[in-house]
Amino acid sequence: MVGQLIVDGLATGLLLALPSLALTVVFGILKFPNFAIGATLTLGAYAAWVANTFLQLPLFAAGAVAALVVAAVCVLSDMLVFARMRDAGSIVLLVASMGLSLVLENICRFAFGNATRNFDVAIERPIRWHGLRISHEQLTSAATVVVCVVLVQLVIYGSPLGRAMRATADNPILAAVRGVERETIVRITWVLAGALLAIAGVLAGLDRAVDPLLGWSYQIPAFAAAILGGLGSPFGAVVGALVIGLAEELSVLVLPTNYRQVVSFAIILVLLMMRTQGLLGAKAVRR
Amino acid sequence: MIAYLSTLVVLVSIGVLVGLALNFQWGTAGLVNFGVVGFVALGAYAVALLGPHIGWFAAMLCAAAVSAAVSTILAFLSIRLADDYLAIVTIGFGEVVGILLLNEDWLTGGALGIANVPRPFVSLVSAAHYDAVLLGFALALVALTFVTLEILVRSPFGRALRAVREDPIVAGALGKPVLRLRIRAFAVGGAVMGLAGALHAFYLTYIDPGQFTSITTAYAFMAVILGGRGSNTGLLVGAGSIMTLLEATRFLKDALGVVDGAQLAALRLGLVGIGIILLLILRPQGLFAEPRKRVSDFFPDDDVAADRSAAAARTAPAWAVDPSVPSFQHCESEVSSRES
Amino acid sequence: MSAAAPIPALSVRALRAGYPGGGDIVRGISVDLAPETILAVIGPNGSGKSSFVKTLAGLLRSREGSIEVTGKEVTNLSPARRVRAGLAYVPQEANVFRNLTIAENLKLAVEFLRGRSGVGPAQEADVLAMFPEIARQPKVLAGNLSGGQRQMLAFACALVSNPEVLLLDEPTAGLSPKFVEETMQAVLRVREAGVTVLLVEQNVAAALRFADEVMVLVAGRKSCHAAPSVLSGADLTDLFFGGASA
Repeated sequence: MVGQLIVDGLATGLLLALPSLALTVVFGILKFPNFAIGATLTLGAYAAWVANTFLQLPLFAAGAVAALVVAAVCVLSDMLVFARMRDAGSIVLLVASMGLSLVLENICRFAFGNATRNFDVAIERPIRWHGLRISHEQLTSAATVVVCVVLVQLVIYGSPLGRAMRATADNPILAAVRGVERETIVRITWVLAGALLAIAGVLAGLDRAVDPLLGWSYQIPAFAAAILGGLGSPFGAVVGALVIGLAEELSVLVLPTNYRQVVSFAIILVLLMMRTQGLLGAKAVRR
Repeated sequence: MIAYLSTLVVLVSIGVLVGLALNFQWGTAGLVNFGVVGFVALGAYAVALLGPHIGWFAAMLCAAAVSAAVSTILAFLSIRLADDYLAIVTIGFGEVVGILLLNEDWLTGGALGIANVPRPFVSLVSAAHYDAVLLGFALALVALTFVTLEILVRSPFGRALRAVREDPIVAGALGKPVLRLRIRAFAVGGAVMGLAGALHAFYLTYIDPGQFTSITTAYAFMAVILGGRGSNTGLLVGAGSIMTLLEATRFLKDALGVVDGAQLAALRLGLVGIGIILLLILRPQGLFAEPRKRVSDFFPDDDVAADRSAAAARTAPAWAVDPSVPSFQHCESEVSSRES
Repeated sequence: MSAAAPIPALSVRALRAGYPGGGDIVRGISVDLAPETILAVIGPNGSGKSSFVKTLAGLLRSREGSIEVTGKEVTNLSPARRVRAGLAYVPQEANVFRNLTIAENLKLAVEFLRGRSGVGPAQEADVLAMFPEIARQPKVLAGNLSGGQRQMLAFACALVSNPEVLLLDEPTAGLSPKFVEETMQAVLRVREAGVTVLLVEQNVAAALRFADEVMVLVAGRKSCHAAPSVLSGADLTDLFFGGASA
């Protein structure tokens, strides 16, 4: 029983790693918590659903299409909204992202209504392994996430682009006088965040179903994960996501299932009260 | 006609109350609260649960008290957090309240909610005239809250809050108890949000969790941003305009026959989002923003602040106005003679 | 006047600049720097020295006037582009990336300099030879270095871009006397390597000892540009503590 919960927890945690990564990367470079994470994920899910259902693309290709679409939407949103408030302070950006969240979520609702949609994929029987049930979706999900995470970590910690991103996060002015154009890095960050969220949308849509509130259910857990790992630390975001995923699944041992979100909130609260830096990141306490 | 006007005024009043509360927490004290809807819901449920037992007035006071108490607890736990994190904690709070309301059926009736909420002064007039009474009640409540908050803002408490908002370090150095002030500000705002919830319950007489969504929080922020953070008068204008616009668009459904109910709802919500974004881009300071002040403006008698301002004045060059160059003209010729 | 005057390493004409929404802080400064010269910019608090150097670096937009680096116009270039044109800048504070290692700081300093000549392993080796303490520990996080070591790293990062002109904003601020001496010696070595240096300095004594030329800024304007020997103690007292102007 606990073993199954751990399997499910890891699966949930891995899926959560993508929006958590997106959130932390945007926070590190643009310096604000992006409240449009959930809605962007939803957009990705719908984009993939359209590609899958109307263009008859297999899920993998549909996901790629979704990644392109969402990356473009994120860059566009930056150009139209966030670029105009680049140095206005994180609260203004935060409230603006709230507005953006409303817009994106309701574009989906307007176009597709409130009914749930499902991807057109073959149904496969779950794998049984040592008494544990692992579904194909969970495996696909896990494999995809692991590949994405490894790629992102390699880029961020081992490539010139990654160094430029970390430098911009550390000190954008100094980065500029060392030859790094801040706006270029910002756009690349949005492309990365958009792609990660789109892929997460596809995987989430596989796991549950596609509806306008799909992304919202990942928003608080993603925040909890990113804060746990330290906002701004890509490595921490992944670790935090796994911990949150496990915590949420294991919580059913003591709490009713509807209270899973409460777990994330409680973790956030306890963490911020005690250890204001998360595992590896920025200080959270006001002067 | 009266019925329609009453509806409009009550809905606008609820919005104004929530806006005034957020204006006090965010505009005056600088505390970001994204869990607004949670506190409103607490007030509404308090009235719904207690009203039948202790009467509407006592229930309303309890609504304010409960919301203020929970605000205090939440603030106590998280008030030291930086803005970003406070926002995250409060949004989590809003969500948790929603989950609790939905799942704790034994108390809240779960998804079905609670009906038969008692209304103010309902025994005084016949059903036909009640709308006017409710309209008057709503306006009175708003007026009372507005006056109280204005008094608070102009009081030493309010000045201290604004000083803390501008520069917590200097304010702390002046001996102002920063954390306690912030907790109190959060509690005051919470109390008003509880009242808004109470009014909501009185108006609808039936409440369920679905009535309390994060849209309420979004409306509140829009109103505060539009009116200019910190200005209560501006807020009246801001909240009034937004609620009126939103209520007016309910009737678009008849005009825009092409879209169905769900799409219209999506359209309206999407427009709220666009509205927030446009406001932040075009007029981030709102319509009636407070002019930027220094901490010393709030405390003209305190030494530290005065010293700081005087020091700042001293380093400004006294000779800045005179364009004539001091007596070093011979410097230039030295250099050019070296170069030639 | 000589027939073939060498192109100044740095040529500034009638430069005006200020912060958005505010008045002019840099009020029309013109100066030429001959190659391989060290120019110290000194002046009282609020005279605009830091703003002047930030305008040269591209961090503050100029409102009028021009800036040229060995004849190339850089007035409207972004800071990143100015580095590629040969103008390197070391800020006063926060002049290294604390979350990156020494090696990463150095790598970053050369990776985004498309088209800059003379950048490469040879240049890096030369620079590291000038700062052996940095070369010894590439994997250390810059945030864990001492103040003096960070200063050296900041210099090294600016130098690996093979600049024509190096702008330094108060390089000795907050350093102990021993490090002040070391820093100024490093500046001399930099000049010997063929770089022109413009440095803003609060430490007037150090500036006068090491600089070839001194420029005095008062209220955003150039009030003097001469060899250090020209400026006497009395002149400086007048200048810095009022009374110099009519």
